[in-house]
Amino acid sequence: MLELDTITAGYDRLRPVVREVSLTLAPGEAVGLLGPSGCGKSTLAKVAALLHRPYAGRVVIDGEPARGWRHTAPRAQRTAIGVVFQQPRMSADPRLPLRDLIAEPLRATGRRDEVPARVGELADTVGLTGELLGRRPHEVSDGQLQRACLARALVLRPRWLICDEMTAMLDASTTAALVAVVEEYRAAEGAGLLAVGHDSILLERWCDRTVHWQTPPTD
Amino acid sequence: MADTLWRSTGRTRRSTRTVRISFSAVTVAAVVLAVLIVPPLAQLDEQAVDLSKKLLPPSWEHPFGTDDVGRDLLLRCVYGLRISLLVGLVAALVATVVGTLVGAAAAAFGGWTDRIVMRLVDTFASVPHLLLGIFIVAMFRPGVWPVIASVALTHWLSTARIVRSEVLSLRSRPFVDAAISGGASRLRLTARHLLPSVLPQAGLAAVLMVPHAMWHESALSFLGLGLPTHQASLGNLVQSARSSLLAGDWWPTLFPGLFLIIPTLAIAGLAGAWRERINPRRRSELML
Amino acid sequence: MTAAVLSVRDLSVRFRMRGDRHVAAVTGASFDLAAGECLALVGESGCGKSVLASALLGLLPGNAQTAGSATVDGLELLGADERTLARSVRGRRVALVPQSPAAHLTPVRTVGAQLEETLRALTATPRRELRRAAVAAAERAAFPASHLDRYPHELSGGLAQRAATALALIGDAPLLLADEPTTGLDRDLVNRTVDELRRHTDDGATGRALLMITHDLAAAERIADRVAVMYAGRIVEIAEARTFFGEPGPLHPYARGLLAALPERDFTPIPGMPPELGDLPDGCAFAARCDRATGLCATRPDFASGLACHHPAAVPGERSAAHA
Repeated sequence: MLELDTITAGYDRLRPVVREVSLTLAPGEAVGLLGPSGCGKSTLAKVAALLHRPYAGRVVIDGEPARGWRHTAPRAQRTAIGVVFQQPRMSADPRLPLRDLIAEPLRATGRRDEVPARVGELADTVGLTGELLGRRPHEVSDGQLQRACLARALVLRPRWLICDEMTAMLDASTTAALVAVVEEYRAAEGAGLLAVGHDSILLERWCDRTVHWQTPPTD
Repeated sequence: MADTLWRSTGRTRRSTRTVRISFSAVTVAAVVLAVLIVPPLAQLDEQAVDLSKKLLPPSWEHPFGTDDVGRDLLLRCVYGLRISLLVGLVAALVATVVGTLVGAAAAAFGGWTDRIVMRLVDTFASVPHLLLGIFIVAMFRPGVWPVIASVALTHWLSTARIVRSEVLSLRSRPFVDAAISGGASRLRLTARHLLPSVLPQAGLAAVLMVPHAMWHESALSFLGLGLPTHQASLGNLVQSARSSLLAGDWWPTLFPGLFLIIPTLAIAGLAGAWRERINPRRRSELML
Repeated sequence: MTAAVLSVRDLSVRFRMRGDRHVAAVTGASFDLAAGECLALVGESGCGKSVLASALLGLLPGNAQTAGSATVDGLELLGADERTLARSVRGRRVALVPQSPAAHLTPVRTVGAQLEETLRALTATPRRELRRAAVAAAERAAFPASHLDRYPHELSGGLAQRAATALALIGDAPLLLADEPTTGLDRDLVNRTVDELRRHTDDGATGRALLMITHDLAAAERIADRVAVMYAGRIVEIAEARTFFGEPGPLHPYARGLLAALPERDFTPIPGMPPELGDLPDGCAFAARCDRATGLCATRPDFASGLACHHPAAVPGERSAAHA
């Protein structure tokens, strides 16, 4: 289970954007979180990925409460959750060719020997061909770059996947292609998914259930 | 469509820029060649005093003339440039390395480390840096190393600030989140993602600092606080020419001055071209 | 039929790359756009649609070369010098509604001050009337006059978009160019934004021409009169929005695939990826991904009657006949 338990979070302690939100994902379940722009759903996604320290509440991953955030989170907990962000251009290190971009988590966790096989296999899955892998982010399109970012999120075989507006900048065909990759991965590995977005048609088609963001009561 | 008529949209400014860059590049190359080759090849001793030849105006034998004790000024200028360039390069290098490490560490650790380090930087920066430089050289005997230390220790501050703000802005980018989520340690994040991204900026700051450091060396020497007076640095040359300038002898001031101004402008010109190169790279050239 | 405001003929843009290579970003685009009409230019990221917009505004980078012609109100845009572009094109003939309005506004000045500055630059408004003109300009874009003294960062996304639109409308340009005006907005905001664009298209005696560049097919369906589909730098189909999104649907297999990929339809992607613009095949660029492709597709189909395909889903003539 991935449990978010009465989370309060934000960037200003007096005016948190997320107030006492709870959400639970079962293994293998796909949950869509729907809400308008700027409502705080991306902040909640970052809390769930242990990338943002909440003011209150706790995150429990597979029965184990999160013991830290960002670098202070144990590596095993951090890497149990794969994340894909909205803007591929901002989420890729501009200096790294796509091949290294995808391989980076393997290298960072000391699993260098798996790089050739795993990167090749994932590149095939997301539809990136040989020559494209040698290019750097500014030499490919948004769609191609987001394919690489999705491959990077899957490279460590996470048990949980968080897609924060993954397809907001993409055309219909690339959107359908990336969703198909995520679904194929989930079917193979039994991973749970939290898909955050504002497109109800997309999320209702994609996910097992959708949750509508409740505007927190202002006091 | 072989017969398609293509129009260029390139702006004409491009060509004047090319001229500026190649002019700068040729000058810098000439300077480096001169200071490397001339001293070992020249059979003349730049220190040799010949009072019968003192203060000769420029001629074929002495293209830059001679100084008040009859030394050849062209040779002294080349030697002076060599010393000034050496001081400038080493000082800029030391300042950049120190500044980059301090700035990157402050930004990477954040919190109290950042606050204490940056207050320290502010304190240093609040003292006029020439004054601070004078204070440092005054503590030692005149020589090359005190001058280098003085220039380097007063110039890492700006680099530290640039690197810190650059690292801070990078740190808020989602690719850092992605790296953390991918299991990267603090060290790996800094070494693999943050530092390499700021290196072009730091390198640019280093190159821009070389001319600045040369001017500082000259200023210190001119004030009599820099290199020992017998050593032919550009600052010393201008300093010792002051008395002859009052007597109407212009060449001992003009040539060392030009030797300071032209190479420093050329280096700055090259650095400017480099800056234009590294900045617009953020977005795709193809507008994909 | 009113005369075309924008007339594009055989417009091509290519980029010179290192090693004497060329990247053909736009090839042979031709279309007309009349006042009061909205044309949506759709296609996936990297298909060349943003390059086309930049060409119309004279904002291509230095390594670009253009061919063909594009005229607005009779003035040739391609190859126009910087002075002409600044004095009589940008803001006066072609107005840009930007992709990210927040980045398009100057952060250190109020919306009112920016409107007044643009009014001074583009119109002959006397100084003492500037404030009133600014209020009027804001009203046209439904920007509340009470917010004129706010700075861009104090505005919500929707209001920032209206402020940017108000700026774009000041010069009374006959052509509005909206480059991905809805990226990253939620559905409500998308609908409101494009509805307002549509209102500006219908505004006035003759209305304006609106060229909306987008990857959002729902936004295109909502307001467009016609849809142009771009693939690998070429326009492969131009059709009436009604028949494109409704019956009988698009004729080009790529356009059909794009529509089928929508989550409210089949939600299945088109297999494969578009070819590289630097390495296009001689024949139809879509053939490698197309289930209707035959040997004939090794030769490039001509663009005729709004379609460039050897094996369309229906014959173009039949479609127009059915709706004549």
